[in-house]
Amino acid sequence: MVSLRRVRGEARAEWGSFLRKPAAVFFTFVFPAILVALFAAVVGAGGGFFEEPQGYYFAGYLAFVVLLTPLSRLSSTVARGRDSRRFEKLATTPLTRVEWLAAHVAVNGVLIFGASVLITVLLLTVGGASLSFTPASAVVTVAAVVVAVAGFCGLGVLIGAAVSSEDGAIAVSNGVGFPMLFLADTFVAPDALGAGAPVVEALPLTYFSRAVRAATFAREEAVTEPLVILAVFSAALFAAGAYALPWQD
Amino acid sequence: MEQVEADGLRKKYGDTVALDGVSLSVEEGEVFGLVGPNGAGKTTLVRCLTGTTRPTDGDPSLLGKSPEEVDKSRVSVLPQEFSPPERLTPEELVGYYASLYPREETRDPAEVVEEMGLSSSHDTRYADLSGGQKSRLKVAISLVNDPDVLFLDEPTTGIDPEGREDVWGVVERLADEGTTVFLTTHYMREVERLADRVALLSDGTVVEVGATDDVIREHAGEPRLVVRTVGSAEEAAESLGAMAEDGTVVFENVAVDGIGEALDALDDADIEYDEVRWREPGLEDAYLRLTGGRNDG
Repeated sequence: MVSLRRVRGEARAEWGSFLRKPAAVFFTFVFPAILVALFAAVVGAGGGFFEEPQGYYFAGYLAFVVLLTPLSRLSSTVARGRDSRRFEKLATTPLTRVEWLAAHVAVNGVLIFGASVLITVLLLTVGGASLSFTPASAVVTVAAVVVAVAGFCGLGVLIGAAVSSEDGAIAVSNGVGFPMLFLADTFVAPDALGAGAPVVEALPLTYFSRAVRAATFAREEAVTEPLVILAVFSAALFAAGAYALPWQD
Repeated sequence: MEQVEADGLRKKYGDTVALDGVSLSVEEGEVFGLVGPNGAGKTTLVRCLTGTTRPTDGDPSLLGKSPEEVDKSRVSVLPQEFSPPERLTPEELVGYYASLYPREETRDPAEVVEEMGLSSSHDTRYADLSGGQKSRLKVAISLVNDPDVLFLDEPTTGIDPEGREDVWGVVERLADEGTTVFLTTHYMREVERLADRVALLSDGTVVEVGATDDVIREHAGEPRLVVRTVGSAEEAAESLGAMAEDGTVVFENVAVDGIGEALDALDDADIEYDEVRWREPGLEDAYLRLTGGRNDG
């Protein structure tokens, strides 16, 4: 049975560690803001790949933090925890793998929610985007963020468990994350990808961006289907990630 | 009652045999030392006994159950080279690990920190503590659930003598309070001082197990007095009926109160000397004799 006390304890320790690491705070909040500013300038200029209005790319901006933050944070946390024998210690306490991962999903969920709010505000104020936010679309967007974070935290654990060093884990995270970011119907439409187009449907991030775009920009598109597919992907990644945590050698 | 038991434990990593039929048991309230050089299999044995690895063969038992089934609140492990989250303070770290156990089975983090002499550093992050303070904090983390059985895997490796003394003091106090301690180390002096019983591990095999004093008495040999003479050691040794070895005169089986008598014999024979060494044999001698000198730790 999952113990809230243990999840809360693990989350509190992770949260305290995060707040005392200025570089982590910078990359979680300031880096996405810089990205939004740059893209908003490119999109505002029009032409090339970026012909759609600003609001179309909102899902892509959110996808940036929803994907890359958990991948880099969880993969490096797992690699570091294995090197410092933290998991060996945790394995001898009552904390379970599911509880550990749930705690880290909670912390990353809060961070990414904060970054998402910042991106939204910047896009509306600086980028001049037009988004159709209603209570229902806000709920769908938050739900998509939470579900996606759970899955990508699981994927981050899988990378951290498979790679032998912290630096290697971050490198592999970027190697997996950046191609996925641009292939997942975020900034570039699938029909413009040529040979890469068939991959689009196999990426969980695709369903995140479609759900968010359907809720906030293209209201005529279906929300439920991409959200359900995203949930299935995330459940599988979360379960695989929990199983892969290096509790035993 | 036996608190920790290994019955024919065998562990292989590919073609490498890390443990080869290890059997031992630890009684309630005992401080049990597991000694061996690096690579002898100490950490693998601790992992088998605590459930963080599965043996290839054999049965580990902890508090009468398999390590996977044991109540984890009654056991604590300090893994070798363990390092907790570096940006938290001592009280935050002890509180964090306390939160992983049922509230009613944990001790007050502030009390544990104070008991370990870390109150003055309560707002210092782990990364900024001294080596000795870090070691004490890691032991404090291991005590927060007030365990019946505590595994300490090389708790003093890489720390200064002062820090080592601090950890030894903690283990002695735990032993007085009746906690069962399973201590692995390659520092023979650590085990001589702390352990009621000892197992000597070499290449994954237990070569001897027994009361620490008994193992030393039975296997370490006799005390020796070694004298470096100014003149020929061979001639001096012959005239005294002693042994010559590497340019020194060696008196075998000389107790501490026999040193004066041996030196008087040197003076009576007008033999000049510039260095005298006497050493009581210890666990290291026993280990070297039992393993044929395989202590490269």
